[in-house]
Amino acid sequence: MRIDTNAASMLWLIPLVVAIAVVYKATKVHQIRAKAFAKETALLIGSIMVFITVAAFILYGVAWLVTEQLPAMAGGSAF
Amino acid sequence: MPQTWKDNHAFFLIVIGLLAWVVPGGGHFALNERRRAIVICVTVIVTFLVGLHVGSIGVIDPVNAKPWYVAQLMNSPAVFFLGQFSASGQFPVFGRAGEIGQIYTSIAGLLNLLCIVNAVYTAHLLGLKGARA
Repeated sequence: MRIDTNAASMLWLIPLVVAIAVVYKATKVHQIRAKAFAKETALLIGSIMVFITVAAFILYGVAWLVTEQLPAMAGGSAF
Repeated sequence: MPQTWKDNHAFFLIVIGLLAWVVPGGGHFALNERRRAIVICVTVIVTFLVGLHVGSIGVIDPVNAKPWYVAQLMNSPAVFFLGQFSASGQFPVFGRAGEIGQIYTSIAGLLNLLCIVNAVYTAHLLGLKGARA
């Protein structure tokens, strides 16, 4: 299978997050009942996705500052 | 508590741990946690197979990617035989062996390790409960 290194390849993160959330919740809940289990798992998936998105924005901001803004202030390129 | 109970208990925990390793969810299945076992089994196996599909059998590399291989081994002892096969290098690679495929198969292994530990701990608690009763 060919997967390019572009923004869309980041979507491969989603099935992995689902797997992690499902297995983690399967080991944590007292009893597995379909509705409650799905709700708890969805909540965990959402939490992880939000955290990853926030972390990505922060890292993107830091990278943008270091590669675009700081060299401009110093009057040259970082690379 | 008598020594025989401790011996039997340790043996019981080892058997549960081995079952959980041989078949993902096997430990929970043996503890009568059928639903939990099915959820674990399906999720771990599907994650591992997606990794294999993405990167082909080359993702299991006991020679050049030992840390990843150790994590992959946690899926099942069957990975050891796949590793022996892939170490020979006599296989076609249909994808990039590293990156996403390796991450998927290794995460599946680490998730199964979590389930092994959980199954052994659950068995320990059940054993204690049985001894007190």
